[in-house]
Amino acid sequence: MTQQRTRRLTKIELIRMRKRLTLASKIRRILKDRLSILVMEFLSIARETIEAKQTMLDDFSGAYRSLSITAGYHGYLALGKELAGAERELEIVSGSRNIAGARVPVLEMKDSGKKDGYSQTDTSAYLDRTSQLAEKCLNAIVTLAELQTTMEILGKEINRTKRIVNALEYKVIPNLEETIRFLTMKFEERDREEKARLKRVKVILERKEANA
Amino acid sequence: MLDNNRYDRLLQESVKHELRVLNSQLPTSQKSLDVLLKEEIPFVTLRDGERHIFKKKELKYLSEITDSSLWNNLLLPVIIEINPGEDEYSVVCRGEVEEKVFSAILGMPVTRRHHRIVIYKPQLTVIRKILKTTTQYLFSPKILP
Repeated sequence: MTQQRTRRLTKIELIRMRKRLTLASKIRRILKDRLSILVMEFLSIARETIEAKQTMLDDFSGAYRSLSITAGYHGYLALGKELAGAERELEIVSGSRNIAGARVPVLEMKDSGKKDGYSQTDTSAYLDRTSQLAEKCLNAIVTLAELQTTMEILGKEINRTKRIVNALEYKVIPNLEETIRFLTMKFEERDREEKARLKRVKVILERKEANA
Repeated sequence: MLDNNRYDRLLQESVKHELRVLNSQLPTSQKSLDVLLKEEIPFVTLRDGERHIFKKKELKYLSEITDSSLWNNLLLPVIIEINPGEDEYSVVCRGEVEEKVFSAILGMPVTRRHHRIVIYKPQLTVIRKILKTTTQYLFSPKILP
């Protein structure tokens, strides 16, 4: 009501209000589309995160099992000695992608193409297997990191968009509609008053004519 | 209480901002699959100047499901057009490559209508799950003021 009281009762004001309502409805439509896309992506990423987490746990359990077998075969000291010089540089390609306006990270392990640093002749196939499984674990960690960050960013973006959509849907648009209704009602009332006044004038004029 | 002009300006600015945000994800130009496969870090530049990185895994997958003679015709990222208030989305395509790719991913033939492939929400989820970086959303200009 405060908004209505401050409004000037002019046609210009009504036109302005209508324009404003169209604009607000357009923003709401854009945001609703964006929100539905963001929610769809969020749900898909959430499902993938659960799968990736389980895969990572399985990979780690397999890798530890393989490591213990390798350690049992070679002995801790010999294995430690072999692996001391087997350090490898890992490269991760990091960038970003955009999901409906939300910038999310893209992480991918780069295949360096280098061979394992340990001696192939002095070690068994168990160590090769362990090395492969360890690499798989690292890949799983990178994938999970990407998915979890994406999920967090999307969640925040959904919250922000939802707040704006709610503000538009429950506050801005109803207020504008209310004001338009109020102004239209006032103009109709004014028109009715005008008609009644004209009728009254007509009656007076007719009466004057009759008297004359 | 904001005066009339400020309120109008505020609404217009928010429309502009939302459109800027939505359009920022569009690439300035698309690159073909064969070009991207040769790049060490495959990327395209977006309208906001940022780089959009493609995952090599996805490019490799696309190269596996399409014939090598068609790599030149497959422009990436593939644009998925969002129509306002509809559950029907369309994939902007120039040739038949996109149709083949989407048919292979979905495991069913897709409808092609006026240079657009019509897909539905559940299909979109499947496509986006596989082609995360090689597809991009376009919010239809029909919803722009």
